[in-house]
Amino acid sequence: MASPNGHGTPNSMPRSVDPITLRVLGGAFTAAAKEMAHVLYRMSYSSIIRESEDLGAGLYDAQGNEICESDTSPMHVGSLPAYIRGFLKRLQGNIHEGDVILHNHPFQGASHTPDLGIAVPVFWQGELIGFAAVTAHLLDMGGAAPGLNVDVVDVWAESRLFNGIKLYSKGVRNDDLWQFFLDNVRTPEMNAGDIESMIAACQLGRERFLHLVEKYGVTTVLDTAHDLMDYSERMLRKEIEKIPDGEYVAPTQYLDDDGRNREQPLAVCVKVRVEGSELTIDLTGSSPEVPTGYNVPFEGSTLVASYVIVRSILLDEATYPDPVPQNEGIFRPIRVIAPEGTIFNPRFPRACFSRFNQVQYLADGVNLALAQAVPDKVCAGNAAHVHFLSYSGFLEEKGQYWVYLEVNEGNWGGRHGKDGLDSIACLIENTRNNPVEELDLRFPIRNERYELREEPIAPGKWRGGVGIVRENRFLVPGFLSSEAERHFDAPKGIFNGGNGSRASMIKNPGVEGEERLYSKVTGYPMQANELLQIKTANSGAYGDPFERDPQLVLDDVLDDFITLEMAEQDYGVVIDPQTMAVDHEATRRQRAAQGG
Amino acid sequence: MKRVGVDVGGTFTDLIYVDEDKGEVVVHKLPSTPADPSQATLDGVEALCAQVGIPAAQIDHFFHGTTIATNIVLEHAGAQVGMLTTKGYRDILHIARHKRPLSFSLYQDVPWQKYPLVRRRYRRPISERVIAPHGEVSTPLDEDEVREAVRRLKHEGVEAIAVCFLFSFLNPAHEQRTKEIILEEYPECYLSVRHEVLPQYREYEGFSTVCLNAYVGPQVSRYVRRLDRTIMDRGIRGGLHLMTSVGGVATAEGAAQRPVNLLMSGPVAGLIGGIWTGKRTGSPSVITLDVGGTSADIGVAPDGQMRMKHLLDTKVAGYHAMIPMVEIDAIGAGGGSLAYLDAGGMFRVGPKSAGADPGPACYGRGGSRPTATDALVVLGRLRAENVLGGQVRVQPGLAAEAVQRELCQPLGLGVEEAALGAVRILTQSMVEGIEISSVQKGYDPRDFALVAAGGAGPLFACDIARELRIPTVLVPRYPGITSALGLLTTDIVYEFVTTEMQLFSALDRDKLAADFDALERQATERLRADNLGADQSLIRRIADCRYIGQGYELRVELPAGEITADWQQQAAEAFHQAHEREYVRRFPDSDIQLVNIRVQGVGLIPELQLKEIPTGGSSPDAARIATLDVIFNKDGTPEKLMTNFYDRERLQAGNIITGPAIIEQLDSTTVVNPGLSAAVDRQGILIIACE
Repeated sequence: MASPNGHGTPNSMPRSVDPITLRVLGGAFTAAAKEMAHVLYRMSYSSIIRESEDLGAGLYDAQGNEICESDTSPMHVGSLPAYIRGFLKRLQGNIHEGDVILHNHPFQGASHTPDLGIAVPVFWQGELIGFAAVTAHLLDMGGAAPGLNVDVVDVWAESRLFNGIKLYSKGVRNDDLWQFFLDNVRTPEMNAGDIESMIAACQLGRERFLHLVEKYGVTTVLDTAHDLMDYSERMLRKEIEKIPDGEYVAPTQYLDDDGRNREQPLAVCVKVRVEGSELTIDLTGSSPEVPTGYNVPFEGSTLVASYVIVRSILLDEATYPDPVPQNEGIFRPIRVIAPEGTIFNPRFPRACFSRFNQVQYLADGVNLALAQAVPDKVCAGNAAHVHFLSYSGFLEEKGQYWVYLEVNEGNWGGRHGKDGLDSIACLIENTRNNPVEELDLRFPIRNERYELREEPIAPGKWRGGVGIVRENRFLVPGFLSSEAERHFDAPKGIFNGGNGSRASMIKNPGVEGEERLYSKVTGYPMQANELLQIKTANSGAYGDPFERDPQLVLDDVLDDFITLEMAEQDYGVVIDPQTMAVDHEATRRQRAAQGG
Repeated sequence: MKRVGVDVGGTFTDLIYVDEDKGEVVVHKLPSTPADPSQATLDGVEALCAQVGIPAAQIDHFFHGTTIATNIVLEHAGAQVGMLTTKGYRDILHIARHKRPLSFSLYQDVPWQKYPLVRRRYRRPISERVIAPHGEVSTPLDEDEVREAVRRLKHEGVEAIAVCFLFSFLNPAHEQRTKEIILEEYPECYLSVRHEVLPQYREYEGFSTVCLNAYVGPQVSRYVRRLDRTIMDRGIRGGLHLMTSVGGVATAEGAAQRPVNLLMSGPVAGLIGGIWTGKRTGSPSVITLDVGGTSADIGVAPDGQMRMKHLLDTKVAGYHAMIPMVEIDAIGAGGGSLAYLDAGGMFRVGPKSAGADPGPACYGRGGSRPTATDALVVLGRLRAENVLGGQVRVQPGLAAEAVQRELCQPLGLGVEEAALGAVRILTQSMVEGIEISSVQKGYDPRDFALVAAGGAGPLFACDIARELRIPTVLVPRYPGITSALGLLTTDIVYEFVTTEMQLFSALDRDKLAADFDALERQATERLRADNLGADQSLIRRIADCRYIGQGYELRVELPAGEITADWQQQAAEAFHQAHEREYVRRFPDSDIQLVNIRVQGVGLIPELQLKEIPTGGSSPDAARIATLDVIFNKDGTPEKLMTNFYDRERLQAGNIITGPAIIEQLDSTTVVNPGLSAAVDRQGILIIACE
């Protein structure tokens, strides 16, 4: 049931490559991965790849160990090793120069089915030495509903499945397979353009890999890759060791529902155990697997999210003095326990199309659990969700669908010494929004509002981040699908900070036909001229609001985040409405009187 | 014609004076005056004129490169800006593209939230809306709201107002009316209106650019107008010309209205100076490497043409500025880069820097950690008496001690090995920087010459050239003032843009022709105002295009001439080629979308000729100042070689210097590696053959 994943040797510092070559090649690896991602998102067609950057790219050794990854959506890049191990199992050595391998099987390592993985093997003197691989979120994979599929019965209903399928074999494209695939998706032109871009990115990665091998020799290149993994592992272990041994438990949080059985919340339980330089994330007690597509593939998603959050807390790129390369070494000190048959480790053939918000809760849980251990490295409870929406409709004249995928971003909880970030990709997510002016020009949708939501921020010494409100109007009839959260359970404040606010999704707010939607809908019909309003959750706050610097409270009033009354009620800060200045004496009295 | 170029940097203000008729060139360097940068500029001009013996009034053209706009942004020291924006979109500047810069970090800050260009309290939503795709009005402008908002902003003391309405590039009527109201209510405020500054789509990038313009506007406009007046008062007739980020120049008035165009213009002149150096030595394709104390600027110019950055990369200190910027990359590698072992035992050099204070360990100012400069001192490549022209009393013993203590012991290496390693790692980061700008953009470094500039560029150039198999290194006569030189070698370029949004498959050629005509008229008028006639100028057409369905455009130069079916075919081919170069492949069957069109008006400046230096024989012996042991890299291990040191000032045209050799001059040192030889040409440029 458990998946022990630690196979590194702690604190071993064998150096097979000299320190100078190690640095030189380390830089070259990172540059290659970056370049692959650059080609992919700038060349690709669908907005989910090119605007949102929902993609990953990297180089891997012949066993699928990650050598380097691009700095794009973290959920993608960390997942590729499992993809490669997945198709290696299927292909059993049947891999040749010129092959292009497609893989998206969620029970064979894939992150989830719409994140198609494409890999090109790298051969040197006839021997397989590694892979150049990318993943990207495709607009439509031929599932039951256009775009997103939450309410589906099994894994066959959510997507076409690729389990180590070769689109090119020894350099020759399988045209029938290609045609079959395009015939079975709703957005064939977009998919074709995106897949072409993905292959181009892989081929570029392969060239860069070979160039390094030519210059430095295959042994040095692979030894360097492994030394860099050991290095990253060592750095993470050092940080884990600083945490006192013990078990740290997060408050249980609840997902809204499974997308079909309404108002039946699903528990997410997170415990973190630290023993020496090893860290275990135990998800036991979380909801059983669900009958819809709201399960999380274990290898490709549960594990990856766990690695990303631990790394982000303990080796924070902004505060950690030196950049630590993201590679397989990061994974080694971390174990994840998720009993089989639960939402974080479903059994075949459960559908698991929509898994993002669950792993956001997982990450938020790890963050909240560690608050007791490393209070200066964590946030208060985060929005920890996205409203990931699919807008679509059928184009009669083309015989195809238009599909627009939209990531409505979360925001961050208050932090030790500073406020949470407003409206910005949160935790495991890191994508880009689609410009309003791009959206309106390209799709039969009109955006009518996109700004910070007006509900008050979570009060605290360090306030929580603010979510957004977005209003999109369908100009033609179409369908809406969504995977979203936080319509019931608000983000949690910590150390006496206030809780955040819930998210919501309302059709036609304030006019006839107003309807409050559940956070997950599948193929929900929308009429022309109907408007959808989305609000993402505000995050929780950090610390007692009565300790907030009155000047910052005044700023919040002036910036319309809170009212004068809230300043006094929630923060004990009295502001003179005439001069709009803090009345320090009255504030002192107010704070003393309210026991702050 | 007498021309002056003044480049104001953070530390030094460099000046160069050229009198083409007499073949006279004079250079001058003095410390910058950050409190009022014009002070050093004017003092420098005076000193130059005294040196040459002419009154300032005889100067025909005055070219100026300034980092004032960039520094305002870097230091978050701009004006208090108010903003009027479409209701429902108050926080576009605050949300940005909702992607955070660092993927693995909970404690990062983002500049657009921590130091907003416009604070939320001064962002005023206005009822109005025009809609895609044709710019119809769906909500009329509420003029009373505008008037009320402007009055309040005035009362609250904002110095500048930005007007940013959604889709104003489709229909600017609401912005135009709003501008009129602002001019009635608050005529003295600095105004930045979206459709005037940047009539281009993508609201975040657009708003950010327009607000940056307002943010730097009051200070920059005051500075350039004052400087312009002062030099006019001194009788310099041509007035002030300022270098812009696109590698062109703006007049004082142009810069005052669009100061955003000055952002990131600092390093551009250096690249232009490098291009000139290449041209003068018969190498039109150059890679320029300008290495200073903390950073290195890298530029790539195939056939002497500057390339433009991708529109997602045109940023200043994390704020987006959607203006064309010359592609120049800065990396954290310089003489002051620290060499150290991190907590995991990884050997690193840069981007951390010892800065000017305390500086390298060998300066003896309290710095205990070794830097690249210390490593070069240990290797004998920098002589104590020549560091910073001898202005610093260098103690080589301190350099060796620092390397020994911080690097040798933990790594188990000898002092020379460790110093050599530090230089190799730093060199490698520059090699990677050049690869990102060249190989990764489809250019082969073997087709280029490397122009080494700045105080430290010529120290590393031979090592870098070997790694990248670049055949030739060029070291300009004055490596430290390449930027000032560049100011005098640039053409005058003005650029005008509008959003076009047409498909090639259904191209309305008459509309396109009319739109190009309108832009070309603006460009021609602008050039005429500079007294540049048709014989001294040219018009260039550029477009931002993409395959239909793609999201990002490529900048492509389009053919001149009548817009016919034939023209269209040539234009399509130009785009296919550009796409193939940038992204490895082309999609010939895909339709092409013309997103923005641009016109450049180019005023041609006669090519700069420098006075030749005296000619001598092939032997450089007359310039030799010392012969000492210097350590070079032989397959990764140190090798000590007897090396001649030469004085650059005393070298003569025709001298051939055989490596290993070190050539010293006031503000720079050139290393000629073993086995290579450097020729001195008649213009005093060092040409090092690396093959």
